Amino acid sequence: MTQLTQTTAGLVADDLPRPRRRAADRGGFFASRRVTEFLSIFGGLALWELAARFLVHNTAFLAPPSLVAIRFWQMLADGSLAYNGWVSLQELIGGFVLGVAVGIAIGAAMVQWKPVDHALEVWISALYAAPIIALAPVLIIWFGFGLWSKVAVVFIMVVFPMIISTQAGLESVDRRLLLVARSFCASRWKTFRTVALPSAAPFIVSGMRQSVGRGLVGVVVGELFGAKAGLGNIITTASSVFDMPTLFVAVVTLALAGVILTGILRSFELRLAAWRDVA
Amino acid sequence: MARIEFVDVGVTYRRRGGGETVALERVSLAFEPGEFICVVGPSGCGKTTLLHCLDGLHATTSGRILIDGREITAPGRDRAMVFQSASLMPWRNVVRNVTYGLELQGVPLNEAIGRAESMIELVGLTGFEDRHPGELSGGMQQRVNLARALVIDPEVILLDEPFAALDAQTRELMQTELLRVWDATKKTAVFITHQISEAVYLADRVVVMSARPGRVKAIVPVPIPRPRPASARRDPQMFAIESEVAALIDRAQPESVAV
Repeated sequence: MTQLTQTTAGLVADDLPRPRRRAADRGGFFASRRVTEFLSIFGGLALWELAARFLVHNTAFLAPPSLVAIRFWQMLADGSLAYNGWVSLQELIGGFVLGVAVGIAIGAAMVQWKPVDHALEVWISALYAAPIIALAPVLIIWFGFGLWSKVAVVFIMVVFPMIISTQAGLESVDRRLLLVARSFCASRWKTFRTVALPSAAPFIVSGMRQSVGRGLVGVVVGELFGAKAGLGNIITTASSVFDMPTLFVAVVTLALAGVILTGILRSFELRLAAWRDVA
Repeated sequence: MARIEFVDVGVTYRRRGGGETVALERVSLAFEPGEFICVVGPSGCGKTTLLHCLDGLHATTSGRILIDGREITAPGRDRAMVFQSASLMPWRNVVRNVTYGLELQGVPLNEAIGRAESMIELVGLTGFEDRHPGELSGGMQQRVNLARALVIDPEVILLDEPFAALDAQTRELMQTELLRVWDATKKTAVFITHQISEAVYLADRVVVMSARPGRVKAIVPVPIPRPRPASARRDPQMFAIESEVAALIDRAQPESVAV
């Protein structure tokens, strides 16, 4: 046994993570990713500012970032940004949660029962490929100017990529693990829960990450066609009076929301997929 | 411990595009309770099919397989399989991989973890409970695979070439370890391999099969006393039995070409 523990300990030591080479070690000022990123953002803003001040000369066409920042601060202070942001966030979350839940359910049903797959496959590929956002005005007519019409728009944006990523995840299951489950007398439901679903989880979260952006598009477009409040509503009203700074505040807020939500799901995805990297 | 009987078992696969492959033909065998049986034969002789039928993963085309007189139709708690590739769940750590079968039986998690921990100790993996399969060597993965099967306390343990992918030294170490664990648990064991020395070292009796169609060619007893330490491998009697089995397998090759 002592010999054994030594052997196994040696093998484990080989598996320890090796120190990673840092990008900056390779030399050069631009080799560091952070420096390049910072310069890129700063340079972009500077160009925007210069173009707005010295080329366009008209804030109704293009507002410089400094004015946008000031307006951002004002809208934060008077609470209008928080209020409209909250309205849009509710629409996003409602549609996203529904879309993810229904997408996973339909995707799973299609993998488990072939007739469901055969019946729905055509519809889903067609609707996924189509610019489904064109249905937004219809949904506004059906569901009114309130919360639920936007939830519906976000839903149709999110549900199709979720169905497809759930299917892909469930179909990637290791057949050998299914055999293990069967050998241990797992029921069909238990096999799904203990083997298929965990295997598919990284795919599903990756699908969620890709759906966030589509959901945000759904929120804005939904609000463009009819809303009483929300970031998309700010864009509509601001553009009708050529209030560029306010319009850009809404655009920047949406972009930030996209970056933050994608980042959260990305870290979730990396945690879930950790076993795939070492396996 | 349980008595296993194969009564005239035949398995025929339907090939894609018509035609049939006979994987097993008229296989009749009887294994005594507590016996360690190894099945050897050239590749394609239906060894794995035989084991899968015994586990209930595959239906027989004709004949019956009985455990203590009961006919096998599906997987059951009285049998547990140690798979060829370790087939561990990469998202579960070592303990939770071992508890898998118990969880499916509805054993409360606390109790399952307790039983898993003592089985992990038996297979020599104490200290690795929280590791994930990706962090383990091939030999350690097979120890988990073995513990996962033994922890449900089956009457029969089925092993499908579990050491085939290991290097020679690890394989010999694992064989000795397997005998130690088997000695401590006293299960009826059916072990599939294509390695003659492995079969003879482990088994009470070696079943030699011929290929296409898979048939039982001979049954060779290994009357070497247990426990068999690693040094038993160099026993001259062991060598004699190995060459006997090798000769049987050579004659079992269907398309053996005279050189």
